[in-house]
Amino acid sequence: MEEIRRQDLVDLDNLYPGVPVSSDSVLPRTTCRIIRRIYDNALFMNLDEIVIDEGYGKCDSARAIASILEDRLPIPVRRTRNVSSEGRGTPVSDSALALREKVEMILSDFVRPVERSVIAEPHPAVAVWGVPCSDFLLYDLFPDGTKILGWTRCFENRTPADDELEQMIDPAVPTVFFAQMFCHKNALAKHLAGVHGGLYLDIDGQVTLPIRAKVEAFLHFRVGNRERGRREAG
Amino acid sequence: MRLADFGTTWTKWYDTETKSYGVVRTSEVDFRAAVGTGHNIRSRADRMINELVALAEGGLKRIPEPDFVLVDVGSREIKYVRFENRRLKEMNWSTSCAALTGFTLELLGSYFRLDFDHIRPAKQSVPVTCGVLGMEQIFELVGSGVSEADAVARFTRGLAENALRFSGNPEHLYLSGGMTSNALFCKSFPLGVEVISLGRFVLVEGLMSGEGVIDAGCP
Repeated sequence: MEEIRRQDLVDLDNLYPGVPVSSDSVLPRTTCRIIRRIYDNALFMNLDEIVIDEGYGKCDSARAIASILEDRLPIPVRRTRNVSSEGRGTPVSDSALALREKVEMILSDFVRPVERSVIAEPHPAVAVWGVPCSDFLLYDLFPDGTKILGWTRCFENRTPADDELEQMIDPAVPTVFFAQMFCHKNALAKHLAGVHGGLYLDIDGQVTLPIRAKVEAFLHFRVGNRERGRREAG
Repeated sequence: MRLADFGTTWTKWYDTETKSYGVVRTSEVDFRAAVGTGHNIRSRADRMINELVALAEGGLKRIPEPDFVLVDVGSREIKYVRFENRRLKEMNWSTSCAALTGFTLELLGSYFRLDFDHIRPAKQSVPVTCGVLGMEQIFELVGSGVSEADAVARFTRGLAENALRFSGNPEHLYLSGGMTSNALFCKSFPLGVEVISLGRFVLVEGLMSGEGVIDAGCP
């Protein structure tokens, strides 16, 4: 934890083991895990300044948490709006790497640039649409090369407010649509899952047995059958 | 080879050699299965299949239609799968909305000494989303003069309506799980909804790989 505290830049969205939960008494239980985590991290770390993107790519809760942190901490809270539309590409989202590794790379790249020359996966078996999940165990359920879509893809592209990119779906690839419980993106996730025949998931905190079972069943029936069909045709 | 569904309260099993099947309290299980599923599987089986996969595979074995909805209501949870053209279209598993449904009914039955085979289904329902909240309303009804049997029947209808809503309000549904042994529950779905009971061995059957079909329906 001391190592994290010594970093010049810290992404407050990310999980840092050892950070105590202090948000329970301040934020309603209907607040999404990521916003709660931002609060916990900000209160625990000795920060000099906080920069919050509260633009179109974020949500009302980002604006709210900025106000709350302004009131609670003696440090400046700088509000920004990231409206960048200059994409820098999504090689990690389209790579053959393990899904957890991909998400970790995309998130760490934000504060510490990572090498992004990775091998592409031309035929992903499945795709995951959405924001980063608070419990990365979700990503271990998917095969290597799982394509990343939605806001996480926009994040890698450095265009978090790119609505068109966020809603880009590959109809040929079975897709799991995920949103953090209590996140406004649930409406879009459920809608897109209905339109594209994907699996809609919302998770609050940890990946539970039913969530795991739903993903496994989706992979078994949708991805497994598709892969078997492709092998037979080939 | 023994196949088993280790449920919260009851374990359902099938022996592929003797072609026999049975039900035992999970707390009294004294065997190990070759293939297993269920909430209480822990380390009781050599190979584990998740419950939604077992339910869907069992449904595909038992149901001939290309399109169907299969809902499994057990002691603690409710699951459903919807197939279109024999292709999985939708599924869900809830342990909170349907929490303790079967378990609650069993408790109520023994507390009030009710025989579910002889209780008339209710026309009204208690709007319940889970067993615990519903139980509170039963005691309110009994306190206001409604008979114990009628109060439990209204509660049971609420559970049936909840299962129907959870599975997307289909007009025809296949029902499986421990609650198919409860005659009152089977009869408590709203008029116009066709319910076909497949009994409580559908998940066990989903563990088989083309080894036959167990014939065990609703009471």
